[in-house]
Amino acid sequence: MRVTATRALRRRGVALVALTAAGALALTACSGDSGAMPSDDDGGGDDGNVEIRFAWWGSDDRHKTTQQIIDLFEEKNPGITVVPDYTDWDGYWDKLATATAGGDTPDVITQEERYLSDYASRGVIGELSGVDTSEIPEDILSTGEVDGKLVGIPTGVNAYAMVADPQIFADAGVEMPDDTTWTWDEYVDIAGTIAKGAGDGVWGAQDYGFNEAGLNVLARQKGEALYDEDGSLGVSKETIAEFFQTSLDLMANGGQPDASRSVEYQNAGPEGSLLGTNAGAMGVWWSNQLGALSDASGHDLELLRLPGESEFERTGMYFKPAMYYSISAKTKHPEESAKFVDFLLNDPEVAKLQLTDRGLPANLKVREAILPELTAADQKVADFMADLEPDIVDNPSVPPNGANEIQDIMIRINTEVLFERMTPDEAADAFLKDVGAAIGG
Amino acid sequence: MTDAPARTEPRPGSHPQGPRPTLAEVAATYPDRRPSRGRAWAAVRRVLRHVALIAFGLVMLYPLLWMLASSFKPTELIFREPGLIPTEWDFGNYTDGWNALLDPFSHYLLNSAVVVLGSVLGNLVSCSMAAYAFARLKFRGRNLWFAIMLMSIMLPIHVIIVPQYILFSSLSWINTFLPLIVPKLLATDAFFVFLMVQFFRGIPKDLDEAARLDGCGHVRIYLRIMLPLSLPALATTAIFTFIWTWNDFFSQLIFLTKPDMYTVPIALRTFVDATSNSSWGPLFAMSIVSLIPVFLVFLFGQKYLVKGIATTGIK
Amino acid sequence: MAVIQEVARTRGAAPERRKGDGRAAALFLAPWFVGLVLVTAFPLVASLYLSFTDYSLLEAPGWVGLENYTAMFSDPRFFQALKVTFTYVLVSVPLQLAAALALAMVLDKGLRGLAFYRSVYYLPSLLGGSVAIAILWRQVFGADGLVNQVLGFFGIEGVGWVSHPDYALGTLMILNVWTFGAPMIIFLAGLRQIPAMYYEAASIDGAGRWRRFRSITVPLLTPIIFFNLVLQLIGAFQSFTQAFIVSGGTGGPVDSTLFYTLYLYEKGFSSYQMGYASAMAWFLLLVVAGMTAVNFLASKFWVFYDD
Repeated sequence: MRVTATRALRRRGVALVALTAAGALALTACSGDSGAMPSDDDGGGDDGNVEIRFAWWGSDDRHKTTQQIIDLFEEKNPGITVVPDYTDWDGYWDKLATATAGGDTPDVITQEERYLSDYASRGVIGELSGVDTSEIPEDILSTGEVDGKLVGIPTGVNAYAMVADPQIFADAGVEMPDDTTWTWDEYVDIAGTIAKGAGDGVWGAQDYGFNEAGLNVLARQKGEALYDEDGSLGVSKETIAEFFQTSLDLMANGGQPDASRSVEYQNAGPEGSLLGTNAGAMGVWWSNQLGALSDASGHDLELLRLPGESEFERTGMYFKPAMYYSISAKTKHPEESAKFVDFLLNDPEVAKLQLTDRGLPANLKVREAILPELTAADQKVADFMADLEPDIVDNPSVPPNGANEIQDIMIRINTEVLFERMTPDEAADAFLKDVGAAIGG
Repeated sequence: MTDAPARTEPRPGSHPQGPRPTLAEVAATYPDRRPSRGRAWAAVRRVLRHVALIAFGLVMLYPLLWMLASSFKPTELIFREPGLIPTEWDFGNYTDGWNALLDPFSHYLLNSAVVVLGSVLGNLVSCSMAAYAFARLKFRGRNLWFAIMLMSIMLPIHVIIVPQYILFSSLSWINTFLPLIVPKLLATDAFFVFLMVQFFRGIPKDLDEAARLDGCGHVRIYLRIMLPLSLPALATTAIFTFIWTWNDFFSQLIFLTKPDMYTVPIALRTFVDATSNSSWGPLFAMSIVSLIPVFLVFLFGQKYLVKGIATTGIK
Repeated sequence: MAVIQEVARTRGAAPERRKGDGRAAALFLAPWFVGLVLVTAFPLVASLYLSFTDYSLLEAPGWVGLENYTAMFSDPRFFQALKVTFTYVLVSVPLQLAAALALAMVLDKGLRGLAFYRSVYYLPSLLGGSVAIAILWRQVFGADGLVNQVLGFFGIEGVGWVSHPDYALGTLMILNVWTFGAPMIIFLAGLRQIPAMYYEAASIDGAGRWRRFRSITVPLLTPIIFFNLVLQLIGAFQSFTQAFIVSGGTGGPVDSTLFYTLYLYEKGFSSYQMGYASAMAWFLLLVVAGMTAVNFLASKFWVFYDD
């Protein structure tokens, strides 16, 4: 009995070692390898069918539309199958990183400016070739270059702008401002006046400090920039402090809600925002969110330029690529992937299906073609962007590695300022320190 | 241990001749310590208890009720008019939500059902087997292995997921249900092993010994004694595995890459997206829909939970 | 005849059989063992290895020795995460277990409609991980939420509980207590397993309800209380989903809800420092293992097993 028991245990010990060793081998064999996916058809040998995987994020509307686009592509390109891989925004990057770690990077990847550099500098996405970019303006195309190589092509552009509710302005007896000349101080005053005039539970503006894009605009207005071309911080402490001070001024004159409410509105997305719930007159948003905001609020919202565009040295607003299409550096089907990206960017039928869901199309011809099809809100966006274009000086370069942490840092520091746990000066110091650490590493 | 004889009606105040009375019968012949206060008072107390339970229940359920109400409002109104009673009733959220994704929602319910059923069966079989070994068998290093088993649930999923992904990828199991079900067949849910160990240890060892005297080996003891007497623990395991697997988001997100393999939690997440239009109405509607199976499982599984050991005795 | 021989054999063999059940153990533990090695041990060992590397997920790992660990201990957010997590665990777990036990006792027997009540009290646990919880919690604890409306009735002005740095963690603790359904069910199962015979015998001896509770229910329930305590503690230390959803993934406001695993997740997946995250995970494992060991040692003093 005892002998049997010991032997059994020893056998188990050996088995343990053997299995762990096998596992370790699997780990080393697999990292960095591509094509372990069961659905990945290697090389399309016998039936000539090539499968490529396309990853994107969004909500159910976008998923449905994108599937239609995929069907269209497959119709026009028999022999290529596109496998969809979609999730919501939060899960997207986790999944992408894990898949990459496991050697299963998708072939065509939707990218975003805050992550582009991280993926490019580590060789996950490669230089794009074989895609026709002739209809895309150079200054927009350049926003997808890292180290001089084009690694992502913008799908479309957005602008960071002020969204205003004319009805609440009217209710409060305040005139809509001239958005080409208004200053930051005027913005604060207007918000305060609206809050007083519109009654309880309605404010002038939603806090703007949670998004570093606003800071970037202010910096550019003053001739600085959030990130320099070489990827370091290019904004001064004074500018940052000024940026946060505006929020404090707005809280002081009642133009924006108290700190707790501001945090809540921030977490509530467009539907639960100040504008979306008819609880306020202004808010800063990306231009492609106008539709969601209008639906939620039920009013006809307007787009305005940000304050201070003519207050300082130059205009600060810019066109941000809504998202990019990139191709995996280790893809087994580079031509087919490039073909698909080309299709996504340049085929007018694609644009007709998705309209401005991925930003106002970067391809100018395609943009023209869809203008008549746009919804009222999107029409406003298109007009706004066309109006804005001549006044835009330049577009910012791709944010450096680690830029995706900036959003969290910004949220944290802004909350400290709102709750008066940090002064704007202290906040500026903290910002420079934390962001410096994030992008320096 | 006495055998329980056939029950006869107790006659208070008298000593019945014939078969010995059960303890319960004898106890019943003794007066309660506290004098009874009359039937009316007892009824009032009962009603009060119900009222308290219902009131507390309503407080507990408020968030759910709000979600239920919101599922009947058009999405734009959910935040604009956050009251508990919808001003506009809109059943469109349910139809929209059902058809919003690439497949009708029933597809995702089915996927979840497959994963869950596999997980429940896996856990029931493998965890009870392992628990029997830890609770009843003596073997070298038992405490050490038990400690190692507990350690396995102390590492957060986020650092385990990447090595697991690599492992499953090398087996070509990604985008199948295998990474989700096979671990359950291998008793990796230490929670349930531990749960059953505690329950098994609560079963008197005398039963085991009696069985052994009758010539039963371990397998028979496990099948004929431990399992039947641990029905509450097994029911608990089944119910919890069901619910936790049904709601498990992260591993399902990572291991299932093709949308038509998606399960309910992933499908629900795709209704909201911070960067574009969120469909709160359909999200709430489908959340309610996906709650129903879980709720039903729980409602009907309860009766197995509450079967306890009413009598003991060597049968 | 055969029976007597059988009995004699087993009787005579009894001491030998008790010495080691190795073979039987191997049989019963086989699936568990395979699972341990394949599914658990490999990732465990791999993550330990990764904790000594700089691993961005996007590239292969590179050895850095103890750098992650030293960086950890000079990271203020790391200590903030520890503080938040310990506070959360030490306050909300006892509260949750107390609520679970209380409700389990009330809903054990003696009332009509128990199945219904139990389901009602269990429902919140089903929602615990839902993405809708963020909205729901805001509806209740937000600046204009239910709690403040009720307080307003009494003339008290409430703050935005869920978005205030001083109170946000409290709302998450309440969320944990709100989802007491799981331990409640386990307590119910445990209550049901106490042989009625004991209660009967005690009644005979004249024990009242409270005495019966103290002397029968509690002692016989201690294995289950112990189980719930150990596992709720382990689970609470790894609490992630609620904080992630309610704070929008930030651990805010201002890191007041920066749970340890939330910070770990941020480091691993957002900052591309999976090596650092692995180091954090192993530190957590040591803390939790230590605490569990203490629990087990202490259990000798208050947990009563029948074997």
